[in-house]
Amino acid sequence: MRSESQAADGEIVRAVLAGDRERYAQLVERYRDRYARYAARMLGSVDAAEDAVQDAFVRAYDQLAQCKDPDKFVGWFFLILRNRCFAERRRNRTSASLEAANEVAAVDRADGGAESAERRRALQLALLELTPDQREVFVLKHVEGLSYSEIAERLSTSVPSLKMRMHRAYDKLRYELRDHT
Amino acid sequence: MSGHEFHPLVKQLLDGDITRADLPAELRAEGEEALRLLAGVERTAVSMPAVTWRVMAALERRRRRFLPWLLAPALAIAAALVIWLWPGTPPPSASLVTVRFVLVAPEARQVSLAGTFNQWDPQATPLVRAGATGVWTATVTLPAGQHQYVFVVDGARWVPDPGAPAVDDGFGRRNSVLTL
Repeated sequence: MRSESQAADGEIVRAVLAGDRERYAQLVERYRDRYARYAARMLGSVDAAEDAVQDAFVRAYDQLAQCKDPDKFVGWFFLILRNRCFAERRRNRTSASLEAANEVAAVDRADGGAESAERRRALQLALLELTPDQREVFVLKHVEGLSYSEIAERLSTSVPSLKMRMHRAYDKLRYELRDHT
Repeated sequence: MSGHEFHPLVKQLLDGDITRADLPAELRAEGEEALRLLAGVERTAVSMPAVTWRVMAALERRRRRFLPWLLAPALAIAAALVIWLWPGTPPPSASLVTVRFVLVAPEARQVSLAGTFNQWDPQATPLVRAGATGVWTATVTLPAGQHQYVFVVDGARWVPDPGAPAVDDGFGRRNSVLTL
């Protein structure tokens, strides 16, 4: 017999929809960290990312009955979080920049990599100058380590379209970092 | 932005479709520049243990929205949380971990951390209040291993973190334990 912690997503979703509300915590526990870094890099702030992840889980709970395939909860949840991140970036663009730079600076202090600190800080700021579409494909590929085909599947788009976005992102980053090469 | 476009072959290098050796000699320098750009990518993993509690508290709060004050004591008890960010892949350092300490203390005028990592000096590591929310945070870089700590509220009240395990300090008080 499978324990609760090993229960499939679909089983938990159906239990929550049947009224076992507390079991939703299992889904949150299971997936909150998986996309934490994605949200942090999209928003340029761990604090803003935490709010976004929280809101996305609350929103997903509200809309749980609309999750057509409960066994694919995580893919459905990702799209809710993605929308939340895109909306947040539209609302609040500038304050993230300083936070982003400071958070990277904190990590650099932590690992003692002083020589790379300025480059990492500059790249983090430059990422915020990309369009959300460009930033997303960059983050999913170069931060999360997904392949183009995995990203295409997750975002329901084509590999050539993703490559076009990414190649524009490379050019934009080169331009933004022209004084740091 | 004209003049700042990478050569298509360099973009393929960044995509991982070709290697440095596949670049013609005249593009090697541009290829190195592009790879330096990617070397600056921040891959530190992010963990958000507080989110589970926050989500479930938000759902509970809404469920009881007609009796909001009944929930306040429960929220206060569960308010102190520790969030740690650990090195991702590749790890910048295996021996240091960036930790965010969070305490919700709306009534406090001052909060700090005292622990084995700062010789229990209540002045050494102040938390900063985030606006008017009553949330106090401090981000600290600590060596991997086990640390004991407490929150010091208003310079006098030593409060263990209810969100972390605790041990007896041998003097009748409890210290929180953080294992990294």
